Amino acid sequence: MQALLRLTIANGRSFVRDRNALFWTFAFPVIFILLFGAIFSGGGTTTYRVAWVDQDGTAASAHLRQAFAGVPLLRLQDDSLSAARAAMQKGDVRAVVVVPAGYGAAVADAAATGPAPNGPAATSPTGPPGPAVRLELYTDPSQQASSTTIRQVVAQVVASLNVALTGRTAVLGVTDRALQTQDLTSAAFLVPGILGMALMQLGLFSAVGLVSQREKLILKRLGATPLPRWTLVGSNVVLRLLIGIGQAVLIMGIGVAVFGVTVLGSFWLMAGIVVLGALAFIAIGYVIASFARTEEAADGIVQVIQFPMMFLSGVFFPLEIMPSVLRPVAAVLPLTYLGDALRQVMVGGSAYAPLPLDLGILAAWFVVCLGVSARFFRWE
Amino acid sequence: MTIVPPAAIIEVAGLRKHYGELRAVDGVSFAVRRGEIFGLLGPNGAGKTTTVEILEGLRAPDAGTVRVLGIDATRHPDRIKERVGIQLQTAALYPFLTVSEVLDLFRSFYARSRSTAWLLEALDLGERRHAQTRHLSGGQRQRLSVALALVNEPELVFLDEPTTGMDPQARRSLWDLVLRLREQGTSVLLTTHYMEEAEQLCDRVAIMDHGHVLELGTVEELVTRRFHERAVQFDTLPGLDMAELAALPKVKRAVIEDGETVLYTSDVAATIGALLARTETLGQDPANLGIRRATLEDVFLDLTGHALRE
Repeated sequence: MQALLRLTIANGRSFVRDRNALFWTFAFPVIFILLFGAIFSGGGTTTYRVAWVDQDGTAASAHLRQAFAGVPLLRLQDDSLSAARAAMQKGDVRAVVVVPAGYGAAVADAAATGPAPNGPAATSPTGPPGPAVRLELYTDPSQQASSTTIRQVVAQVVASLNVALTGRTAVLGVTDRALQTQDLTSAAFLVPGILGMALMQLGLFSAVGLVSQREKLILKRLGATPLPRWTLVGSNVVLRLLIGIGQAVLIMGIGVAVFGVTVLGSFWLMAGIVVLGALAFIAIGYVIASFARTEEAADGIVQVIQFPMMFLSGVFFPLEIMPSVLRPVAAVLPLTYLGDALRQVMVGGSAYAPLPLDLGILAAWFVVCLGVSARFFRWE
Repeated sequence: MTIVPPAAIIEVAGLRKHYGELRAVDGVSFAVRRGEIFGLLGPNGAGKTTTVEILEGLRAPDAGTVRVLGIDATRHPDRIKERVGIQLQTAALYPFLTVSEVLDLFRSFYARSRSTAWLLEALDLGERRHAQTRHLSGGQRQRLSVALALVNEPELVFLDEPTTGMDPQARRSLWDLVLRLREQGTSVLLTTHYMEEAEQLCDRVAIMDHGHVLELGTVEELVTRRFHERAVQFDTLPGLDMAELAALPKVKRAVIEDGETVLYTSDVAATIGALLARTETLGQDPANLGIRRATLEDVFLDLTGHALRE
């Protein structure tokens, strides 16, 4: 263990002192995320477009619409529920407010019965006494800033309306509903993708370091010591995993601090995916190192693999908008599944594949590449 | 369990290693005694490094037996590694680590180790201890590589062309260090293509060429076994052909080495007299005329028909 620790420290020192490696590992993804984040996030919005779905169609609901239309922050557009949801998916509106059928009747009821201590239980059959009628509000939890604002505005309007309607009782309530959107201009989409890309590069470029150590006969020299080979491989992998976790923290930190991305998922699940993804790509790096004879060759192979993978795996844009000829390619690339898994867990974006499938495919890449490199990796 | 130290610290018999058509090592046998400095002497490509790497447990032979410290090196290389020190022909160092960091790293691999201070002192690397290895000169890298072979206080040290790239002063001080190691009881197997190095250091020498051991013994034995005569040498003169020189009185053989004509003779006075008489008729003086005893170089040339350094 002493030797493993020392060797990991030695590799870590070498890594930190190699400015080239530092740049590609940390500065490059940060530059990417700042650049693309700035391009995609666009200018600041002062008003939010909100779809208005009136399923009641009474005078009371028209009155309610007036009350909302009076809020300067909101711009209402009338829609059917399905059209409204579609508009929100496309990013045309930020939220959807649904006025359910029976709203007018409920308000009339409340006005007729006057202030009642417990409210009319008959109109809310489920649960404890509550508002006689509920509006439905769809917002996108991954768009934290706008969604919070809209929810607060709606809550305020509803509260003042309640007072106006009855003086006291909560006639009107709001049911919050989440609707995940595919907002292409969002940093929330980009951050997990960039993290996946960084982990991919971290793993693949480990091939170059390995081949360099082999060419410089460092591996051979270490092989002449009593050091077991698993220690050699182990220290390399441990270091890469630590770097990968560092990258994850850095990239997510920038996403949260600079672009206001909300991280939804569990920390442990996310850490697990980062580790699994890093392992899969490190294993691919070992395969490359098994077949590349020189450092230059390894570097060339890595570039040939990483550039197409970066653009074909949905890092920068969703796979749905990719030409159909390229989709089968995306379907086999491990980065597709790493990006998808990170995106699902981090920001809750819509899934390309179910999470277990993502993880299973990454694990499969890891196992297969591990086997191939165990068979073909040469120490000198 | 007590282990009786064998008289031989290395025993090699019938060692063979072929790479396709190339017979790198082709039936090599020898033994190294405990406490001696043993030299494998030969030109590049003679099979020295392949032989040494088999002994170190880094390569498996195609045939033959190898016992190092009494242990079968082909079957249990890991048992040997703790107790031997290995210097590879090409210095293999972490470019971004400093000299003392590399030493400390390698010390952590062994149960027993010498202090970093001792190693820096012994290889005269104290002033460069905080330098990253990529900034070292060739000779300094070579010295660090030798230091790494000594970190575990080995019973047996393998030095593969240890003084390559060193200036004469560094070479001299490495020789002193090797002799000091022998005084402390360390056995040394070194390969070299420097005849002088073998003559200065080695208790016994095996001369290798084309994967074979051609001759084995002390330097004195190797020379006297072959040469009773002395050598008269001078800068080669145009107009004197070899057949003519070989026909001078008492000359046994005439050869050209590195631009010098060498006449092996059993009677120096007779040969020089005849030589000078001949050159006078050409109106020339043989430059750098000298007399010497035969050397390992001569032995090598005689054995193989070509010079050691080519």
